[in-house]
Amino acid sequence: MADRLEALARRVQSDPAFLAAALADYAHSEGLDERGLAAALGCLPGQLSRLRLCRRPRDEPTGQLRRDVEQIAARFGVRADVLAEAVRRSNALAALRRAGEPERGTLMAARDREDDVAPADNPSGEP
Amino acid sequence: MLSESSPARPSPEAALALHQRLLDGDPVASSDLAGAYLDWLATWLTHVNPHDEPHMCNTAAEDAILGLIKRPEAYNPAKLGLEAYLRMAAKRDLQNLRSRERRHSQHRADLAAVELSPRAGKYLSDADEDPARIVERREEDMANATELAPRLEAARDGLSDEEAAALELLRQGKRETPPYAAALGITHLPLAEQRRQVKRVKDKLKKRLERAGGPHG
Repeated sequence: MADRLEALARRVQSDPAFLAAALADYAHSEGLDERGLAAALGCLPGQLSRLRLCRRPRDEPTGQLRRDVEQIAARFGVRADVLAEAVRRSNALAALRRAGEPERGTLMAARDREDDVAPADNPSGEP
Repeated sequence: MLSESSPARPSPEAALALHQRLLDGDPVASSDLAGAYLDWLATWLTHVNPHDEPHMCNTAAEDAILGLIKRPEAYNPAKLGLEAYLRMAAKRDLQNLRSRERRHSQHRADLAAVELSPRAGKYLSDADEDPARIVERREEDMANATELAPRLEAARDGLSDEEAAALELLRQGKRETPPYAAALGITHLPLAEQRRQVKRVKDKLKKRLERAGGPHG
């Protein structure tokens, strides 16, 4: 039973819809292993699978994140402040990742354009 | 056995409530659903599909649970109980996994069989060659069955019955040691020795096939 839940919890670790992804980001950024993460949350390592299978707390509407975090924390007896920090940090990391993507795209597009424009096609040299 | 009496599974009323919580976006509902049904569903699926690998049954059960978590509106409680719905979904997901596995196996067999092609050496040594194209060409070659048959016949000449059986396995694209070991009658030997002998025979057969293909293949 625990093995199957654990396998499923591992599977959803890359799915941002689940709390697993946020906890993975948090553990990674804090350098925590399984035991360390459980200790930070104030639970036993065996409880992590069920926790990871929760839905990621929602950002909106205002106050929803806190309500979701408190509901999860109360259900599993974990520290709401650490859980909230984990979700916020993961959200921030996700935003940074998103912000990085268009930038790379723009740079690549600019480079393509530069390559594409032959001197004869652009005698004035303007972009 | 499978537990119509499993203690973890919710009553029909509780199942309805759980589904409603999924619809409402309750963040704990997904975990409760998995906790209540995953093990039961995987156990049931493994039991009714004894010829499938257990890991495939587990994956199919996971797929069914995740499917409901992602799209709870796809389930209509007025038509079906939650357990029946999950069973149906898991069976369908297992079928999909089987189809995918069959396609992969076929692809692997095709790639292995490429080694039998007289042109394979050229294809495989060409660093720019796309493996898919290799398979495609091999299929074109094999479409003309008369091409391979004489080579097989020539390669079979002088082989013992056991080696001829191994040649047939090679032709079918089989790669694993056990069927070859069975064909060669060496299953009583230690596994390492079986592998060594099977490899030796496969190498011999491949060389014979290459030679039978002639210089122009």
